[in-house]
Amino acid sequence: MFRVLAGAFVGVLALVGPAPAHHRPNNEVLLGGAISQTGQYAEPAGRQVNAIKLWVDEVNAHGGLLGHKVVLSLLDDKSDVQTAIKLYEKLITEDKVDVLLAPYSSGITEAVANVNERYRMPFVAYGAASSPIWEKGRKYIFDIVAVAEDYQKGAVFLAKQIGVKRLAIIGQDSLFPRQVGKGAKEWAKKAGLEVVLDENYPPKQTDFTALLQKVKAAGAEAIVSNSYFADSVAQLRQMRELNLDFKMYSSTVGPGLPNFAEQLGNTAEYVLGYSQWEPLPAVLKHPGMQEFIDSYEKRFNEKPNYHAGSAYGALQVTEAAIKKAGSFDSEKIREALATQDVETVFGRYKVDARGMNEHEGLTFQILKGQRRVVWPEKWAETKAELPMPEWSKR
Amino acid sequence: MERSDVRSLYRLAAFLAGAYALPFAIGGWYGAVHLNERWLGYLATVVISGVLQGGVYAMFAVGLTLIFGVMRIINAAHGEMVMMGAYLTWVCFFRLGLDPLLALVLTLPVAFLFGVALQKVVLHAVVGQPELTGLLVTFGLGLVIVYVTELVFTTDFRTIPYAPGTVHITRTIAVGQNKVISFLIAVAISAGVYLFLKLSRLGKAIRATALNAEVAMVCGIPVRRVYLVTTGLAAALAVAGGALVSIQFGFNPETGTVYTLQAFTIIILGGRGHYVGALIGGVMLAVLEGLVSLLIPNGTAMVELAAYTLMIFVLLIRPGGLMGVKEA
Amino acid sequence: MTRSEHLRNLLALGALGLVLALLPPALNVYLRSFALFTMMYVVLALSWNIISGFTGYTSFGHVIFYGIGAYACAILVADHGWHWLPTLLVAAGVAAAVGVALGYPVLRLKGPYFAIAMLGAAEGMRVVATVWDGLTHGGLGISLPSVENSIPTYYAMLGLMLITVLVAYAVGHSRFGIRLNAIREDEVAAEALGINATAYKLAAFALSAVFPAVAGGIQAYKVLYIDPPSVFFVQITIAMALMSMLGGKGTVIGPIVGAVLLYTAQELTWVNFPTAHLIAYGLFIVIVARFMPRGLVGFAIDRGWVRKGMVH
Repeated sequence: MFRVLAGAFVGVLALVGPAPAHHRPNNEVLLGGAISQTGQYAEPAGRQVNAIKLWVDEVNAHGGLLGHKVVLSLLDDKSDVQTAIKLYEKLITEDKVDVLLAPYSSGITEAVANVNERYRMPFVAYGAASSPIWEKGRKYIFDIVAVAEDYQKGAVFLAKQIGVKRLAIIGQDSLFPRQVGKGAKEWAKKAGLEVVLDENYPPKQTDFTALLQKVKAAGAEAIVSNSYFADSVAQLRQMRELNLDFKMYSSTVGPGLPNFAEQLGNTAEYVLGYSQWEPLPAVLKHPGMQEFIDSYEKRFNEKPNYHAGSAYGALQVTEAAIKKAGSFDSEKIREALATQDVETVFGRYKVDARGMNEHEGLTFQILKGQRRVVWPEKWAETKAELPMPEWSKR
Repeated sequence: MERSDVRSLYRLAAFLAGAYALPFAIGGWYGAVHLNERWLGYLATVVISGVLQGGVYAMFAVGLTLIFGVMRIINAAHGEMVMMGAYLTWVCFFRLGLDPLLALVLTLPVAFLFGVALQKVVLHAVVGQPELTGLLVTFGLGLVIVYVTELVFTTDFRTIPYAPGTVHITRTIAVGQNKVISFLIAVAISAGVYLFLKLSRLGKAIRATALNAEVAMVCGIPVRRVYLVTTGLAAALAVAGGALVSIQFGFNPETGTVYTLQAFTIIILGGRGHYVGALIGGVMLAVLEGLVSLLIPNGTAMVELAAYTLMIFVLLIRPGGLMGVKEA
Repeated sequence: MTRSEHLRNLLALGALGLVLALLPPALNVYLRSFALFTMMYVVLALSWNIISGFTGYTSFGHVIFYGIGAYACAILVADHGWHWLPTLLVAAGVAAAVGVALGYPVLRLKGPYFAIAMLGAAEGMRVVATVWDGLTHGGLGISLPSVENSIPTYYAMLGLMLITVLVAYAVGHSRFGIRLNAIREDEVAAEALGINATAYKLAAFALSAVFPAVAGGIQAYKVLYIDPPSVFFVQITIAMALMSMLGGKGTVIGPIVGAVLLYTAQELTWVNFPTAHLIAYGLFIVIVARFMPRGLVGFAIDRGWVRKGMVH
C-alpha cells in the first residue's frame, strides 16, 4: 500500500509541477503583484488597483518601459496575510515577474517584505505606512507614503487648538492602527494633552456601545480613532444613537473613502480624517497632477483619492528607476530606487537610509459632504469647524 | 432533579455569579469603578444595551438550539444564515424600497423555505450521524454561502440606515432607537415561537422529538416532517436575527462567523434544546460582554475571550447548561 | 498482521522517505513549498486521527496545538535569538503540557460537547495570543529574521512526517491502539474491562498534540511571519478533519491518502480558479461529509480491496 502511495505522491508532484510558465512573446515585461481585491482592505486597495491600471495603459501608450510592452498580473490576496505570501512566492519563482508591485496594508506588506527580500526583488510600497517594516535592515523595500505615526498629528494639534485637554485613543488591533496609535500618543504628549484611554478592539468588532461608554466615563473630550472603514462607520453611528457628544473625532482610513460620507450622510459631518494626498493641484502643486486627476476621473468617474495617488506616484518612481538602471536587473533597479530623487504627482521621492520617504500628508475635515483640507496651515483651504456641534443640534 | 443535578446547578450559578463579579473586581482594582450618578448611568447604559442586544442574539441562538436539540446536528453555518438575513433585508430595503421590518413578511417565509430545502436536500442524511458529519457538512455549507454572497454582493460593508434616533431613558442613560425596536420585534417573534412550541400540535411534536426521536416515531409523530419544520423554523429565526442586526450594524459576507460562535456559547449556557434557556443565555452573554468591555482595562480586546472562557467553564461544570439536565 | 508484513510496510515507508529526500534539488521553490505543505497536512491529519479517529473524541479545535507550536518557535527565534531546531523541541514540550492540562478537564465531555469545547479553546487561545502583547506582539504578529530556508525546512518536515507515520502506524497496530478503539466503541464497557480510560485518553490527546505543534513551528520558520488569525485558523482544523474523513477516519493510511489528495486538489483549483475555488471547496466538504463518512479507505475495505487492519 505504501509503495502505491509513494508512486502516487511523486506522480502528484508531476501533475502540479509544470504550472503555466509565463510566455512573453513580443518582448513584453511582466508587472506583477497581489493586492486585496476582496476582504476588509478591498475598498482602499481598489483605488490603488485603478491607478495601477491607468498607469500601465498610459505607459504602454507611450512605448512601454524601455521599449517593452507592460503586461499586468494583479492577483487577489483576499486581505489575508498567508495568501499574500503564497502569491508573491508564486509570482517571483513560478511566474517570474520582471517588476514587483506592492500589496496593500501594513500587515500584509510586512509579511511580503520577507519574501521579496529573500529573492532580492525590490518594490516601492504605497499601501504601508508603518515604520517597523523599514527598521529591520531590509534593502529591497522602499516607501513613498508618510509614516503611520504622523497620521493623527494634525488632529491632535487641532484638538489642542480648541482647548481639548483629555484625549481618548482607540484603534483596531493590527499593525497599522497600532502604529498610528503609538504616534498619536507621542504627539499628544508633545502637545500637552492627557491620554485618558488607550484601547484596542478586535478587527471584526461592530458593537462599540460599551467602548464608547468607557471613553465617556474616562472623561475624554475628543476621540482619535485608528480604524479602517467598517469600524469608524459603526463608531460614528453608535455615537449618534447613544447621543454621546465629543468635541472632535478623527479617524484614519475611513473618511478618505467616497462611501464613507455616502453611508453616514449627515453623521459624517465634522469628522476629521487624514490624507496622504488630495487631488488639489492648486494647493499641492506637484507636476502632472492635473493631467493625472483628469484622466483618472474620466476613466473611473470619481476623483482620485490618496490611495490612487500614492500608487500612481510609486509607479512613476519605479519607471524612473528602471530608466535610470537602463534594464530590468533587480540589483540595478534597487540601486536606483535607493538613490534617486524624483518628483511625482504624489510629491517628492527621496528615501533615507532605511528606504523611507519624507512625505508629508494633510488633515481634512468633512464639511457638507466634501473633504476640505484644514491642516497644516500652509495647505489649509479653510479653518477647521471645531468643536463638533452636538448631535441634538444637527 | 436528582441531588447531584441540583448541586451542579448551584455550582454553575455560583460560577456565573463569580463571572459577573470579576469585571467589577478587576475594574475596581484599576480604579475604573466610580460610584457616582454619571458613571452609574454609563453602567446602566451598558447593561441595558446588553439586555436589548441579548434579546436579538437569543432569537437566533434559539434556532441553533432547535436544530441541535431535535436533530443533534451542530449547525456551523448558523452565523451565515444570519448574515443572509441581513443581505436579504438589504435587498428588500434598497431594491424594493421596503421598510426593513415590513420586509420580514417577505424574508421570513423565504428563509423558512430555504431551511426546509436544506433539510430535504442535505441534512436529512446527517441526522443521527456522529456529530462530526453534521459539523463538516454545515461548515462546508457555510463556506458556500459566504463565497456566493461575496460573488453577488462583493465584500463591501453595507449598512441600512434606519431609526437612527435616540431613546432617552433618563438624563444620562440613552440607547439607540433601532436597538429598542430590534429588541421589541425579537421579543414578539420569540414569544410567538414559544407559544407555537408550547401549544400547537406541531410544536409539541417538535418537543417530543427533541426528547427522544425513536419514541416519538413509535407514537406516530411524523418525525421527518418535524425535522423539516424545525430546520425551516431555525432558518427563519436566524434570518430574522439577521434582519434585526442589519439595522443596527454594518455587515459583509464574513461577519457571520462571529455570530456562529456566539450562538454556540449561548446555547451551551442555556442548555441544549431549551428555548427559554437560550433567551436567558443570550441576555447573560451580551451583558457580560458589555461589562468586560467597560470595566476591564483593555477589556474590549478581551470580550471574545470572555465568551469562550464562559463556554468552556459551563461545559465543564454543567454541560447541560442552566436549563438542561446535568449531563444533557 | 504478521512480522513480515510489518517489515514490508516499513521498507516501503523507507523507500518513500528516500524518494522524497532526493527530490528537493530537482524542484523549484514553489514545488518544494507545495511538497512541504502536503507533508505538513499528512502530519496534521494523522495526528488528528489519533484522538478523533482511533479514540473517537472529535476535536474541533486541534489547530490550537499548531498555533502554540508556531508561536513557540517564532517567539524564541525572533525575540530570543534561538536557532530554530531546538525551538521545535520546546514546541513539542509545550504542546504536550497544554494537551494534558487542557485534556484533563475537557476529555470528560462527551461527543458534541467535547468538539465545541475544543473549538472554544482554540478560539480562546487565538484571543489570548492577540491580547498577550508582551509575549506574542499581539495583533502585530511576529516577523522572523529573513533567511533562505526552503531546503532545511523541507527536510525538517519530511523527518516529522516520517516520524508521525511511524507513530501512527505503531499506535494503529498495537495494544495501545486497540484499547483506544475500545474506548471509542464503548467507554463504559472498556472501563469495566479494566482499561484506565482517563490515562489512555490523555496519552492519546497529548500524542496528537505534539506533532501539529512541531509542524506549526516549522511552518512559522518557513513563512517567516505569523499572526494570531493565521495560525489559529479554524479552517486548519476543518482541513485536518476533512482529510482524515476523506481518507478514512480510524485507519492509518486513510489520513495520508486524504491529506495528499485534498491538498493537491485544493492547490490545483486555487491556481487555476482563484475565485471559484472556495465555493468548490465548500461544496466538496458538504459532499464528502454527506456521502463518504467512512472515507476512501473505508470504501476500499468494504469492497475488499484492502485488507482490514487490526484497527479500523
